[in-house]
Amino acid sequence: MRARDFFLFREYSLLISIILLLLFALVLMSLRAKQRKGVEYVDALLMEFCSPFQKASHLVIKTVQGTFQQYVFLGDLQKENRALKKRIAELQEENHRIREIELANERLRKLLSFREKNSPTMVGAEVIGRDPSSWFKSITIDKGQRDGVKKGMAVISPAGVIGQILKTAPDYATVLLITDYNSAIDSIVERTRAKAIVEGKGENRCQLKYLLRSEEVALGDVVVTSGSSGNFPKGLMVGEIKKVDKKGHGVFQFAELVPSADMTQLEEVFVIMEPPLPTEPLEEKGKKGKKTKK
Amino acid sequence: MKRVAPPLLVGIFFLILQTTLLSSFPIQRFRPDLLLIFTLYLAYLFPPIFGGILAIFMGYLMDLFSGNALGFYTFSRPLVFFAAQFFKERFYLEGFSSQFLFAFTFGLLEGILILMLMSTLQAVSFLNLYPLFFTFLLPQSFSTGLVTPLLFLLFQKGSSHLFRQPEKGMKEKV
Repeated sequence: MRARDFFLFREYSLLISIILLLLFALVLMSLRAKQRKGVEYVDALLMEFCSPFQKASHLVIKTVQGTFQQYVFLGDLQKENRALKKRIAELQEENHRIREIELANERLRKLLSFREKNSPTMVGAEVIGRDPSSWFKSITIDKGQRDGVKKGMAVISPAGVIGQILKTAPDYATVLLITDYNSAIDSIVERTRAKAIVEGKGENRCQLKYLLRSEEVALGDVVVTSGSSGNFPKGLMVGEIKKVDKKGHGVFQFAELVPSADMTQLEEVFVIMEPPLPTEPLEEKGKKGKKTKK
Repeated sequence: MKRVAPPLLVGIFFLILQTTLLSSFPIQRFRPDLLLIFTLYLAYLFPPIFGGILAIFMGYLMDLFSGNALGFYTFSRPLVFFAAQFFKERFYLEGFSSQFLFAFTFGLLEGILILMLMSTLQAVSFLNLYPLFFTFLLPQSFSTGLVTPLLFLLFQKGSSHLFRQPEKGMKEKV
């Protein structure tokens, strides 16, 4: 009987192994859903290993793109005048370099003034990679736990809200963009103060959910963060309403908005480390604490 | 080690290409899924158990840099791998059209599985998702299919150089 069982096991061992492997994959999925420490540790380890290569690749691609653009431009000039080619190339290269520096300078100046205006507790980060799949919308940034970045922190740019931190590694982090289906941000329509939830709709679009039918909203209305979700400070620009639909029945109306920040052109972003805390009540609390100790 | 390290490194290499180079292209809808092509090729190169573990790793890598919080690819990639293993003897895979069809079909099937998982586990309304079938899934599967013959050729050369043995099913000619 035992021998028969053994042969049966051998006959089905492959099938059993496949089922076990698929079960293992399902267990991994559920562990990830429960945000278990072990999975997060493995995630961070793998991210730390892969992201430096990602960063290097991003740098190489940027350089090659720039050079290629220059080369194409040079090719046209070569046809016109061979003798002037070298001189034009040099000038073009110099011009390109100056223009790049000027653009970077302008961008950084804008970022700096934005940072000074808004919150001192922000960390600037560079976008080094994008989501490998087309279904989900996320980016990888070059700042992580060592820089104080934590899961759930808000990510913004001078143009508006970008998303929130989804995963962290010591030096890198993944940001879930507001256009992702899993993203939801508490927000208000700036003009009418109507409350709604901004949910991702893929492809650089979002929708306003739970927007009451009785609320007056129009095309072009600006939507900002409400500040009640904790991570996002109040009043940050989310996007502009591009479509309002009151057709059908129900308590809510449908509105679609386009994010103010272009998610396909992101280069630098800011991570809001802590939402601004009220200072006075804390001081009072401190004084009270000291009093009770005495 | 010689059999384990190369596929892992190639997987990481493709992931980096997918998150950087392919993402920098202006038309995102036609971005081929290189890791899916590699997973399909693994089905020809490796036995079910070892290859299955590698496929789980490929899926895990996808989930690592994705906004997908539940980790669907960790589950879908081994499924794709085992399905490809099952069909590899039944599918004539010489030539452009058959390789294109093979990858295109698996790209579509995996996409449908992800859509179903999204609508059931993440409570994303199916009405929001089904337009993606035409706008994302079809173009992406098509581009994945187009790139597959070229990558299969490269993988074939690379694997025969690494392991110094012809792959079963791919090169065998009657």
